[in-house]
Amino acid sequence: MNENIGQLETRNDLQVGRPVLRHEDERLLAGTARFVADIRLPDMREVAFVRSPVAFGKLSPVEIPADAGPDSVWTAERLAHRVLPICATLNRPGFHVTEQPILARGKVRHVGELIAAVVASSRAEAEDLAETIVPGIESLPAVSDPEAALDEGAPRLHDAWEDNVYLSSGRTIGPFDEAVARAEVAVTRDFRMARVLPLPMETRGCVAGFDRGSGILTLYLSTQRPHLIRTMLAEQLVGIEESRIRVIAPEIGGAFGGKSNLYPEEVALAAMAMELPFPIRWIEDRYEHFLSASQSRQHVQRLTAYAMRTGELLAIDARFLVDGGAYSMRTSTAVVEAGMAAAVLPGPYRLGAYRFETVTVATNKMGVGPYRGVGRPAAVFAMERMMHETAVAIGMEPHAFRARNMIDASEHPYVSVSGLRYDSGDYKTLLSDAVEAMDVASVRAAQRLVTAGDRRLIGVGFGCYTEQTAHGAEEWHRRGSPFEYGFESARIRIDPSGSVLVTTGIKSQGQGLETTLAQIAADALGLPHEHVHIRHGDTELCPYGLGTIASRSLVMAGGAVEGAATRLAGKIRAIAAANLGCGPEDIRLQDGTATGPFGNLSFAKIARIAYLELNALPPDIEPGLEVSYNYRPPVESGTYSSGVHGARVAVDVDTGEVELLDYVVAEDCGRIVNPMIVDGQIIGGAAQGIGQALYEELRYDETGQPRTVTLADYLIPGAVEVPRIALRHRETLSPFTVFGAKGLGEGGAIAPPAAIANAVSDALRRYGVDVRSIPIRPRDLWTALRDKSFAEMEP
Amino acid sequence: MTHQEITLTVNGCRLSAEVERRLSLADLLREEFGLTGTHLGCEHGVCGACTVLVDGVPSRSCLMLACASEGRHVVTIEGMRGPVADALREAFRESHALQCGFCTPGMLATAIDLIARKRASSEDEIRRELAGNLCRCTGYQGLVDAILSVGKRTDL
Ligand code: FES
Ligand code: FES
Repeated sequence: MNENIGQLETRNDLQVGRPVLRHEDERLLAGTARFVADIRLPDMREVAFVRSPVAFGKLSPVEIPADAGPDSVWTAERLAHRVLPICATLNRPGFHVTEQPILARGKVRHVGELIAAVVASSRAEAEDLAETIVPGIESLPAVSDPEAALDEGAPRLHDAWEDNVYLSSGRTIGPFDEAVARAEVAVTRDFRMARVLPLPMETRGCVAGFDRGSGILTLYLSTQRPHLIRTMLAEQLVGIEESRIRVIAPEIGGAFGGKSNLYPEEVALAAMAMELPFPIRWIEDRYEHFLSASQSRQHVQRLTAYAMRTGELLAIDARFLVDGGAYSMRTSTAVVEAGMAAAVLPGPYRLGAYRFETVTVATNKMGVGPYRGVGRPAAVFAMERMMHETAVAIGMEPHAFRARNMIDASEHPYVSVSGLRYDSGDYKTLLSDAVEAMDVASVRAAQRLVTAGDRRLIGVGFGCYTEQTAHGAEEWHRRGSPFEYGFESARIRIDPSGSVLVTTGIKSQGQGLETTLAQIAADALGLPHEHVHIRHGDTELCPYGLGTIASRSLVMAGGAVEGAATRLAGKIRAIAAANLGCGPEDIRLQDGTATGPFGNLSFAKIARIAYLELNALPPDIEPGLEVSYNYRPPVESGTYSSGVHGARVAVDVDTGEVELLDYVVAEDCGRIVNPMIVDGQIIGGAAQGIGQALYEELRYDETGQPRTVTLADYLIPGAVEVPRIALRHRETLSPFTVFGAKGLGEGGAIAPPAAIANAVSDALRRYGVDVRSIPIRPRDLWTALRDKSFAEMEP
Repeated sequence: MTHQEITLTVNGCRLSAEVERRLSLADLLREEFGLTGTHLGCEHGVCGACTVLVDGVPSRSCLMLACASEGRHVVTIEGMRGPVADALREAFRESHALQCGFCTPGMLATAIDLIARKRASSEDEIRRELAGNLCRCTGYQGLVDAILSVGKRTDL
């Protein structure tokens, strides 16, 4: 439903904007796509890791079994000359760096930490051998709760630190004290959000081989950032230059942020491969994934909202305590979550004053990294719960309270209270789209008739967000990131036969970028998208790029592809014009043909001229038909997508069970390149968010033992749990990007915890119960409802 | 005896192998026969990515021992052919039923079975029947739509 698509400049020959079927599907549906676990090299052996069974302890040097073969057991001592520990840095004052050994030495700091690696001819044999190695560990009291980590006298994870704090920061912006003094209403809430993880269906994995003859190390790796991993490997490994490292990210079975950081397993395999005469492979099993793939989003929050009875929101006071785990991952660091949450909290609202404090602590748990939305699901949950509860306290309809405080479309570009520069967006329209789709009036009518005897109560709730996407160097610099994701690359070559090969530095993990980028290139070149072949994920084949994270690829790689294609189109025109006796401006490119007033030439013919028939090529035109282009956005603060999610739920008062009845996403990601893929990204993201809202939770006991280590303990939603999701699209173009596109990969996952928690709170209003923690467990609701009674009048 | 000689039919070909008794069917298919279209998402029987058809019945190849496939007919994604499989592939593509494609082999196997058992006539029914196959990318909507569109066809 693209209601305002008519406003856009639409040409009916454009391929951007069409639901083009995906180029990548055929190989996936045939079963011939090759994922990392499908890579087999001659004489390849298998690796299994010995991991720490305890959360915190003193580790004695590993004893190698007497009957183990010479190349079969690898310890920290044995790798010491080859690798450096991982030290993720952040250019921010007060940030504490962790030193993470590739294989543990001296101490272990979380269950699953690598202690040794073993090599055998099959995975089963490697696992057998790994089991015979029992590490000598003297257990230490562990910290598994973020609040306990702050206690005086809490065990300290890192000896060089004075406490367990990675970074604490805070700011007061605007006339906060005056706002507090003026406010007629103040609402305070404590919230908790459980740890979750991205959990792609494909686990991590790595195949590493070293060619002694050429000195080239090749890694097949399930990663989102092949070039950056290569750059980091060159820093982590001793004795190899970056130019001799090749990283190939084959087909990736989902990532969602979980395959962006550099992992110690990857460094270990690379280092071992350099010492071994055969290639090696490690494929993570699901149990290992729960122990050692990056985790996310664990928050303890305290929020206070200050408002006037008229519905004016004056100020927000926020405190975020984030559990950062044992080690900072490279390059997200442990503080990725807190910093983002504080910055994005104000969302689509006009807010005069804002005070925040963030603290990220170290605990004896796996480290944290980005997961689709980074910081935003938690910030939006906090903010939108407060919008809901403040509206209730004032006695206003929550969506009306939101609309009252939302930034108007005409105010853009708008600088938020936290300093983010929103480029464009129409938040109020999105909200009214969602309100209409949820039919709030009918929910209210039904709620008025509810009596104490009704055991199944319905409620409606919303979650609104703005989403910074495709931010450039300026923004990453501001955050203190050692890598600034400032550009993306594309190289386009038209071969003598006329077919088009595009290589780019990003890495698709299921987003369909081979299709959307082909659409963009096809429009700029003037040929059908089917003839554009996109390759990515190989550092030797593709130009240097930063990879696929932070909803950047469509805008950034799209910009690069468009830039390269436009330049190549210029060259095609020049060659055609010289051969057709007209000016380049007279040439029209369409369907792979350059047409001038006096004749036409196919791209294949032009390419032949450029490569093989130079007689027909004017000497002032460089031979070949290949262009490289690096796109750096003209405005580096990012482009902002936005959305409003609406949920309608029924809550069983006797069991605390929540049923999700209806779900709508009203969203705006600027120009839509492929509506089918956009819908898929939003629905898929929303399903993950629904999982977080209702089911997903990584549990640890007080000794730091993970309690959720299989897919039977950690519940991700299945087809029954995810309702049909209704979509409403708006297209407010970005003034800053190529053809007005905005990123959208993460949006779907941001708002479900907020919308669903608000709907449940709405349903239980007569009982005075509201949601304080995510996931919304039946047990928690049941406990909260137990000693509450039904209010005959609406409160 | 830790090894056993077995013979089975895979995608229409009779194959023999000397296998370790503890070897799973999935590892036999992937590592011995090179049929890597069958994917392993959990290796503990929950995700359904490894689902193949054994004598026409969807089976978790991560839980089934290779030895237990002696004399059976196994069909993996590489061998899913015929009008129903073709129709499903087309529908998967048109309904955007896959993103990363990792769950797809198991989804196809399950979907072929649903069509064969005539259990694809309504959205609710398909959702219930898909309960044993997890997908982290699509939110299932495209999958449900794809299977429903094939389930409604009367010409298959
Ligand atoms: S791999 Fe067999 S069910 Fe997950
Ligand atoms: S398409 Fe990625 S898991 Fe289903």
